[in-house]
Amino acid sequence: MEENCKDNNCIIEIIDITKIYRIGKIEVKALRGANLKISGGEFVAIMGPSGSGKSTLMNIIGCLDTPDSGKFFLENIDVSKLNDNQLAEIRNKKIGFVFQTFNLLSRSDTVRNVELPLIYSARGAAGNRKTKIFDSLKSVGLIGWEKHKPSELSGGQRQRVAIARALVNDPAIILADEPTGNLDSVTGEEIMAIFQKLNREGKTILLVTHELDIARHANRIIYLRDGKIFREEKIDMPINALEMLEKMPKLEDKLN
Amino acid sequence: MRRLFESIKIAFQSLVSNKLRAFLTMLGIIIGVGAVVAMMSIGTGAQESVINSVQDIGSNLIIVTPGNRQEQQQGFKQMLEDDRDKEALKVEDVKMIEKEAKLIKGAAPAVLSSSIITYLNKNTRASVYASSEKAEYIYNFEIEQGQFYTASDVQNSANVAVIGRTVINKLFGKIDPIGKIIKVDGKNFTVIGIIKSKGTDQFGNDQDNSISMPITTAQHKLYGIDYINMIIAQSTSENNMNQASNEVERILRRAHNLRTDEKNDFTVQNQTQLLDIVGTITNIFTITISSIAGISLLVGGIGIMNIMLVSVTERTREIGIRKAVGAKNKDILFQFLVESVVLSITGGILGILFAVAVSIILNRFTILKPTISAFPIILAITFSTMVGLFFGIYPAMRAARLNPIAALRYE
Repeated sequence: MEENCKDNNCIIEIIDITKIYRIGKIEVKALRGANLKISGGEFVAIMGPSGSGKSTLMNIIGCLDTPDSGKFFLENIDVSKLNDNQLAEIRNKKIGFVFQTFNLLSRSDTVRNVELPLIYSARGAAGNRKTKIFDSLKSVGLIGWEKHKPSELSGGQRQRVAIARALVNDPAIILADEPTGNLDSVTGEEIMAIFQKLNREGKTILLVTHELDIARHANRIIYLRDGKIFREEKIDMPINALEMLEKMPKLEDKLN
Repeated sequence: MRRLFESIKIAFQSLVSNKLRAFLTMLGIIIGVGAVVAMMSIGTGAQESVINSVQDIGSNLIIVTPGNRQEQQQGFKQMLEDDRDKEALKVEDVKMIEKEAKLIKGAAPAVLSSSIITYLNKNTRASVYASSEKAEYIYNFEIEQGQFYTASDVQNSANVAVIGRTVINKLFGKIDPIGKIIKVDGKNFTVIGIIKSKGTDQFGNDQDNSISMPITTAQHKLYGIDYINMIIAQSTSENNMNQASNEVERILRRAHNLRTDEKNDFTVQNQTQLLDIVGTITNIFTITISSIAGISLLVGGIGIMNIMLVSVTERTREIGIRKAVGAKNKDILFQFLVESVVLSITGGILGILFAVAVSIILNRFTILKPTISAFPIILAITFSTMVGLFFGIYPAMRAARLNPIAALRYE
C-alpha cells in the first residue's frame, strides 16, 4: 500500500504526473507535475481554461492515455504500468465515460447502446445482462425508451442513455467531460440532478467543465492551469439541481 | 462464441444499413463464385453425358479408323499425303482380326454415310450405318420390333434395312414399316426391323435419324466402294483393352504389309483412351474458366478491402466509443474481420444461388446438362472465406490500431 494513500477510501491518487505531446518539432507540455487525490463517493469538478491540461488529465484518469512520468493509482492499482489490453479492461470495469457529444452508436437503439460495455466484459450471463440494462435505464429515468435510436431521442435523453451506458458495468468512477456542454440550461440541470442522485447513492463522480454554475454542483472544485493543479475549493453548499429545476420553467419529462 | 455471434450480428446490421454498397462490393465475389460453380457444373455435366454416350455405343470397344491420326495433326502437307490412306481399311482386315486376335471377342466393319430415304411420296435424309450382323451386339443396336439382318443377308448383299424412330415418324407416321419397301438413294430396300430409340447424343445429334443395312449391300449397290470407314472390335475384358489394341495394331500392320520403318496407315483407339481425351478436354475447359473466375474473385477481394477501408474511416468514432467502453484491440480486429468475411461469404452464397439458377435454366432450355456437386460449392465457400480473411485483415488491423483519443475526437 502506498503511503500517500493513507485512508483506505482513496479511489484516485495522482502523483506528480507529466505528459508531453510532440507536434512536429514543437513540444507541448500538457501536464507538468499534477497531483490529485480523490476519495470514494466524492463529487469533484475540474475547471480550467483550454490548454490547461484538463483533457489530458481526463484521458489519463480515464485510462485512455498513460503519463510520461509520475504515478497514477486507481483503486490502489498502479495504472501507469499497464499495457493496452489491461487498460481496456480497467476502462470496461472501473470507469464510466460521459461525453459532451454523447458518443452513442447512431445505428443502435437505447438497449444496444447501454449494453455496449457488457459486450466487452467477460462476466455476466445473458439473463444478468438484461437486469443490469434495466437497472441502469431505470436510474436515469429512461424506461419506455428502450427501442428508440439516438436520432429519435432529445439531447437530454441521449445524454441519459450515455449515463446509463456508463453505469451499466457498475464502475468505481464516472468521468463526465462537459456533459452539459451541448444541452440547454434546463436539460443541463436535469443531467446534473442525475449526477447528484448517483453521487448520493455512493458513486464517485469526476466532472470536467468550464462553466462555474455547473461546477458548483460538486463538493469540490479543482482549478487547473498550465498543466498543474492551481487551486482547490471546497463547496460547503453545492447547488441542488432539483431545487434549481423547481425555480426554472416547467419541463416535459419528470425525473424520479 | 457469444462474441462471435455479437460480431456477426453487428456485421449484418452494418451490411443491411448499406444494402446497395454491400451488394456492389459483393458483385465481384458473386460473379467469381457464380462462374466457378456454374462452369464446374457444366463441365461435370458435359463429362458425364459424353461418358454415357461413349459407353452407350457398347462396352470394351476398340475403334480402328483409316489414316494416321498423329501424323494428320502434324500439318497440311502430311494430311494430303495421308489422304490415300482413306481407303486403307478393308472388310478383309475385319476377318483377319476376328480370325487371329485372341483378346478380341468380335469385330464389325462400318461404312458411314448419309442418304436420301424415300417411301411413296415422302423422303428424308438419314445417317447410314452399314455393318455386319455382329453390329447388333457390338454396337448396341437393339431391335425393338422385327429383326436385324443376318450373316446370310451380309453374304448375299441383301436389300434389307433396319431403321430408327425418327425416320419412321417422318416417312410412315402411324403405318407399320415392317415389310414395306423403301428407296435408299433410289435403290429398293425392305424394312425388316426397327432400331430401339437412343435419343440425342451430347452434341445434339438425333441418333434415331438413322438406317442400317448389310455392309456388302452399301459397298456394292449403293456407294460403289471396296473400303470401309471404321472397324469396331470388342475386347474380351475391360482390363485388357490396351493389350487388345496392341494386338489389333500388330495384325493390321501385317495385313497391310507394312515394313518396320513404315508408319501405320490406320489409327487404333479404345474407349478408355476416348474417355481420357474427354476428361482432358473438360479439365482444360474447367481450369481455364476457373482461373478467369479466380481473377474475378481477386478483383472482388480488392473491392472488399476498399470498402472495408472506407468503413473503418467512416466508423472511426464508433471504434473510439467501443474502445472507450473497454473494447480491446483484438475485439475491434475481430469485429471488422468478421464483417469482411460475412461480406465475402454472403457474396459466395449469392454466387452459388446464381450458379444454381443458371444450371436450372441451362438444363431446361439447352442440351447442356449441368450437374451441381458438393465439391464446387465447398470450394466456393472456402475460397470466399479466404478472400474475406485475406483482404479484410489489413483494414481490420488499421481499425484495431486506432488511438482511442484521436478516434473519439474524429469528425
